[in-house]
Amino acid sequence: MSTVASLDRPRRWDAPFDPEFPAADIERLLAIAPFRAMNPESFPRSATLPDILRNDTAIRTFQADELIVREGDYGTSAFLILKGRARVVLSPGLPPSAVGRKERGKKSLLRSLAQLWSNPREDEVIARRRQEAEPSRSVFLQDVPRVLGEHKTAAMHAGDFFGEIAALSRMPRTATIFAEEQGTQLLEIRWQGLRDLLKYDPALRAHVDTIYRQRALASYLQEIPFLRHLEPEARAAVEAATQFETYGDYDWSGEYKKLVQAGAAAVAKETTIAAEGDYPNGIVMVRSGFARLTQRHGAGHRTLNYLGAGRVYGFDEIVHNWKNPGAAIALQHSLRVIGHTHVLTIPAAVIERHVLPGLPANQLPPPIIIPGESSNARTPPPQAKSRPTEAATDSALMEFLTQNRLFNGTESMVIDLDRCTRCDDCVRACASTHGGNPRFLRHGPIHDHLMVAQACMHCADPICMIGCPTGAIHRDSFGGEVVINADTCIGCTACANNCPYGSIRMVETRDEDGEPLVAKDQKPLLKATKCDLCLDQIGGPACVRACPHDALDRLDLNTLDPLTAWLNRR
Amino acid sequence: MPRPLQLRRAVLSLLTLGATGVLAHYYPRLAACFPHIVYLSGWLLLALCLGLTAYNLRKKLPFLPLLSSRVWLQFHAYAGLFAGVLFIFHLRFSIPGGAFNLVLAALFLAVTLSGIGGWWLSRVIPRRLTSAGGEVPFERIPVIRRDIRLQAEKITLAAIPEAKSTTLADFYVRELAPAFAARPSFFRHLLGSRAALNDRLAALSEAGRYLAPAEQTRAEQIADLLRARHALDFHHANQLLLKSWLFVHLPLTYALLVFTAVHVLLVHAYSGGAR
Repeated sequence: MSTVASLDRPRRWDAPFDPEFPAADIERLLAIAPFRAMNPESFPRSATLPDILRNDTAIRTFQADELIVREGDYGTSAFLILKGRARVVLSPGLPPSAVGRKERGKKSLLRSLAQLWSNPREDEVIARRRQEAEPSRSVFLQDVPRVLGEHKTAAMHAGDFFGEIAALSRMPRTATIFAEEQGTQLLEIRWQGLRDLLKYDPALRAHVDTIYRQRALASYLQEIPFLRHLEPEARAAVEAATQFETYGDYDWSGEYKKLVQAGAAAVAKETTIAAEGDYPNGIVMVRSGFARLTQRHGAGHRTLNYLGAGRVYGFDEIVHNWKNPGAAIALQHSLRVIGHTHVLTIPAAVIERHVLPGLPANQLPPPIIIPGESSNARTPPPQAKSRPTEAATDSALMEFLTQNRLFNGTESMVIDLDRCTRCDDCVRACASTHGGNPRFLRHGPIHDHLMVAQACMHCADPICMIGCPTGAIHRDSFGGEVVINADTCIGCTACANNCPYGSIRMVETRDEDGEPLVAKDQKPLLKATKCDLCLDQIGGPACVRACPHDALDRLDLNTLDPLTAWLNRR
Repeated sequence: MPRPLQLRRAVLSLLTLGATGVLAHYYPRLAACFPHIVYLSGWLLLALCLGLTAYNLRKKLPFLPLLSSRVWLQFHAYAGLFAGVLFIFHLRFSIPGGAFNLVLAALFLAVTLSGIGGWWLSRVIPRRLTSAGGEVPFERIPVIRRDIRLQAEKITLAAIPEAKSTTLADFYVRELAPAFAARPSFFRHLLGSRAALNDRLAALSEAGRYLAPAEQTRAEQIADLLRARHALDFHHANQLLLKSWLFVHLPLTYALLVFTAVHVLLVHAYSGGAR
């Protein structure tokens, strides 16, 4: 007779950040800033301030020169310095070798082969045991005096917050920070705890927002080519004049689903950052998220491109007007919000005064030619000019990628249906490497002969992570791939519901005897599953290697170049 | 600059042509001075056959870094072609004598031809499926077919109270219900025939003159379902062919390997020390 294993349903704090967090430290933390100023009444009973501190924080002690965070790592926690001093390496950043960045370990050849007989007979078998925490391996910065001499650094003291950019924006760490004093003590707050603290304490939210914006601005402006040549005074003037704006919902999944229902009318429903035909009052730089570049076409709007982080809008028109004050032109395209988009705006007057006079000629954009003036042809859209291959991408494909928000994917599974024989070798390979159950569906939106399959795209903006109460879904610290820790996944379905692409599937779990696992309420215990890009497999994604007809690949759709090259690969 | 696939294709084509040229040039000369070269070509053929069969093993081990499947398939195709040429030399350009050897040769030919046929299908059918639209996973087709039938029945039943008439329902039961319930015609869809669909649409259109306005609206919905069913059946037939040719190629391959093993045993057992 079959028996059904009945277990306690996993809950948010089953796996505290620090299982041995001393109760006395809660009192100590509640007595210091910023927690002292927080109103405990503003927190709900399900997530009280002491509960958050007890379960979502950990006190870490670092030795002198020990690395706390490394530039480029994907981190999901922020830090508050409790005692001692830390130092941030501002510029130039330290090379990966100096900070001991290493790729995630892969299975050995023998362990890979052992999958032939060691895969469980039943699908989705989980051993209900918590993963032993890996012993932390400290990395120490070598030759600190040389680092201090060769790199611009800044000291951080007790009470300073850092790491919140990576934790909140789902982006890699922007700087390396190491402990400067022996015994530097920090409070590490995992992001879901930080999210709750920010949600229920407006003062902390305002404080973190301010420092987040300051730090994001300083590091971001360095990355814009035409701002690199600025003298310190001009840079300060530009920084002071830069305005921050955030559009769209932080969790834009619901908004997107509504827009999908709107169909072709979706473009008109999108918020406009800057409108075609308006006078160019400033340049807009996309800090994170995406924006759609459109142009009026008949009674509608044609998508010309989508702009991701680091792309600039309006610069060409401002340069044109600066060089031709008597023949000023309006903005040639509209910029519309898609998803959750941070933008920085620098007023045109500041650009004209501080940036353009000293800008080397080779950094000036090509002139805009207005039809009927000096030429019959209009220049292509500014973003397309620097990317000749993008010009070859047809407008319908652009609409397809934008309408379905597919540009968000950094490892999207694309299938050439003209070559795909529907043999499902990719699906079988995925199942073989994932305990018998494939992690994707060979099905998804189609444009012409291009299908973007329902496989995790490892998004640039992984909004699936937003609602996860335990942080089970997270970015791999080395490559930034979005992965799920099966040991801390409580099967709450938040990530699956939030994923706009339907790429996360909830599956029923079984014990090692193949019996279904159920909670005490007799409902099945679920876990979230999705493509992990075969991070632990020695050969890389099995789906790509298994395709006999060169029909399947994983591509970064944040820009169009890889897709255009792939579509023209033969 | 040539693209990777083109480059690989060009290199493998040149290698195959080169190997064929070397074979055509040297084999007759070697055969003249080394009469037992047929053993050498036989063993080479066996090695090639085993190498070609190893592709199936590679597919069973997707987690090992054994080169990508596309490289294997390309090698499989070109090595298979070369094996065909070598086989002709091995036979000394003559039809083999004896029933066993004849069956073995026929098996080799069948495996080669089924391989070439499969390659041709894998290049032609995907484009046909893409052009037809309505992409659907093969396993889902029976479910979708049932849904279409249920939807058609629901629409027909809904027309009765709306029009207070059973004309459409009667027509459905008489003409369309068997079509919605029937198994799809495999060969008709492979040939891309729309005759059956056109006949049904014409019959529905003809019935339209006797339908009440409310029924006519429903009849248009049923016409859409007929088209959807046709597209689904087209996918079913073509995807089935794509999946099933391997069920010809693989059993033939294994039969060939068994016959080859016996052939090797027989040849060496009865060679009388000639090898």
